[in-house]
Amino acid sequence: MSRPQAPRSLQARLLGLLLALLFVVWLVTALMTWIDARHELDELLDSHLAQAAALLVVQQTRAEDDDVADVPMLHKYAPKVAFQVFHEGQLVMRSPNVDPTPLATINAGFSTVQRDDGSTWRVFATRGAADDVQVYVAEQDDSRSAILQAVLRSVLLPPLFALPLLALLIWWAVRRELKPLSHLSRQLKDRDGRQAQALAPLPLNQLPMEIHPVVEALNGLFQRLDQMLSAEQRFTADAAHELRTPIAAIRAQAQVAQGAGSDHAQRERALQATLAGCDRASRLVDQLLTLARLEANPGGSAAADAGRPVDLRAVAQRTAAELAPAALARQQDLALDAASAALVPGPELLIGVLLRNLLDNALRYSPTGAQITMQIDSEAGHTVLSVEDSGAGLNEPELARLGERFYRVAGQAQPGSGLGWSIVRRIAQATGAQLQLGRSERLGGLAVTVRWPTPLKP
Amino acid sequence: MRILLAEDDPLLGDGLRAGLRQLGFQVDWVRDGLAAERELGTGDYAAAVLDLGLPLKDGLAVLRDLRQRKIATPILVLTARDAVPDRIRGLDLGADDYVVKPVDLHELGARLRSLVRRAHGQLQDALRWGPVLLEPAARQVSLHGAAVPLSTREFDLLQVLMLNAGRVLSREQLEQQLYSWGHEVDSNAIEVHIHHLRRKLQPELIQTLRGVGYTVPRQAAPA
Repeated sequence: MSRPQAPRSLQARLLGLLLALLFVVWLVTALMTWIDARHELDELLDSHLAQAAALLVVQQTRAEDDDVADVPMLHKYAPKVAFQVFHEGQLVMRSPNVDPTPLATINAGFSTVQRDDGSTWRVFATRGAADDVQVYVAEQDDSRSAILQAVLRSVLLPPLFALPLLALLIWWAVRRELKPLSHLSRQLKDRDGRQAQALAPLPLNQLPMEIHPVVEALNGLFQRLDQMLSAEQRFTADAAHELRTPIAAIRAQAQVAQGAGSDHAQRERALQATLAGCDRASRLVDQLLTLARLEANPGGSAAADAGRPVDLRAVAQRTAAELAPAALARQQDLALDAASAALVPGPELLIGVLLRNLLDNALRYSPTGAQITMQIDSEAGHTVLSVEDSGAGLNEPELARLGERFYRVAGQAQPGSGLGWSIVRRIAQATGAQLQLGRSERLGGLAVTVRWPTPLKP
Repeated sequence: MRILLAEDDPLLGDGLRAGLRQLGFQVDWVRDGLAAERELGTGDYAAAVLDLGLPLKDGLAVLRDLRQRKIATPILVLTARDAVPDRIRGLDLGADDYVVKPVDLHELGARLRSLVRRAHGQLQDALRWGPVLLEPAARQVSLHGAAVPLSTREFDLLQVLMLNAGRVLSREQLEQQLYSWGHEVDSNAIEVHIHHLRRKLQPELIQTLRGVGYTVPRQAAPA
């Protein structure tokens, strides 16, 4: 329905509106001046007509002269003025510019008449006291208009000429006052998206108060964009960076296999290592993708069932079953200790990923024959999961750094990327859990405690 | 040529060690920064491949501290950090080469040879002494243009001596430059190899300074 609108320039609109208003005001002023001046002029000139008529009446009552007197034209304005004096119905005196027929049809008061030659006259008619003298004094309407026009010309023309000048001044003033806006837009336009400061906040000083909310909103947007962008950049950099080493390993091992010549044992070993490298790279890719999804959408991809409670025990059982073969292969003792079903906030997918990472870490970084237990408890509105192992555990500085992306505890023989902890931490955050790391009192190794607020049953 | 490899990734370290060995290098592998610094401090290595993200001590810190201790061993930084500022920092801290993972093994070998060569003031890969020509890349030695078959040890020994032409190297120095860890060295192994080299090439190529060591004289004798 809406028509495509041309972009509206605030400056042009302000300028146009101000000029239009100015013109209208001028027009109204002119009209009022016109009406007022016309009224005043009419009064003034009518009073002159009346006065002239009175003089004629007085004179006529004194002079008893039967001849029609033609009064000579004395002034250049005289043709614009006319009079007739009748005495007892007889024309006794008239100005040369009127014929003998009476000027008006009424015999007292003002009237405006159209004469045969097309001219319009303002006529004042009066009678003498004895009713025998009839006097008409008339003035051509044109002359009134001429005077009026002259008056209006002098009053209204200067402002009319001043209008363009005013327009210019208004244009200048509008421009001047909108300068912060154009400056702002130039600033924004000049920003190069590739530069680091492209999303730097705009300075608020020197900007009019009215624009502050807009700029503040923009700055907020910039900040959010900046955070998103840097998260994305960090992820890309980290991902590329972390993938380089496994790829370098795969490449080196493949080249070793290639160059092994007749040494079959070396070729076989290098090929095995190449495969192991591929497995590790793909595991890393999985982890990176999980982390990327978590960071892009902390609520998890299954936002629809985000709030649906999940039975932690069921998920733990499933995860333990999945990882049991790896534990058995290293003679590790894996146990799940859960008395009853325990609810935690979903989504289930994320809880599963968290459990898998926790358990995988415990198995991976505990020695052969180690003991690993998962325990699920319910206490005072919380569901608590603890994963403990009998491994070497971690010292304080190591505990502090755990969960930094790609941080790996020194001297680690096990392949890993250091991403597992980042993932666990993000999921804990997304599902409202508290994550606690410490030393296991029972087993002596690392103890990880995750504490969720127990959701209400659906 | 004995190379120190400092790399914490088990798969990559294993691959690089095996690959460089195939190319004829003697490789010792350490997995953390402190070990790398300790080993390079001995000066027994012709060159080193240093990863930057090492546990215990970061590769850049190792590099900086080694250079502060005036240890001039050529160091090739092999890292996943590819940003230009990282490269600049690495080179400015004293790296002789900066290679981003992944790298071709043959290229890595060539770069290491180049580093060692430059460290010894050589312009070309091939080393010449009179009629004797040693080509490190091809691991070939020829006398008057005819190839002379040498064992790995003999080749390595000749290369070290020719690289250090004019310098006298003691038996211990030669042993340390030739044998990576885990190799038993017979007390007279060097003498045996020198003897073989003299026999296969030219007697005056390697001179013995009794009780001091061995040297290839700087000025090549006329053929």
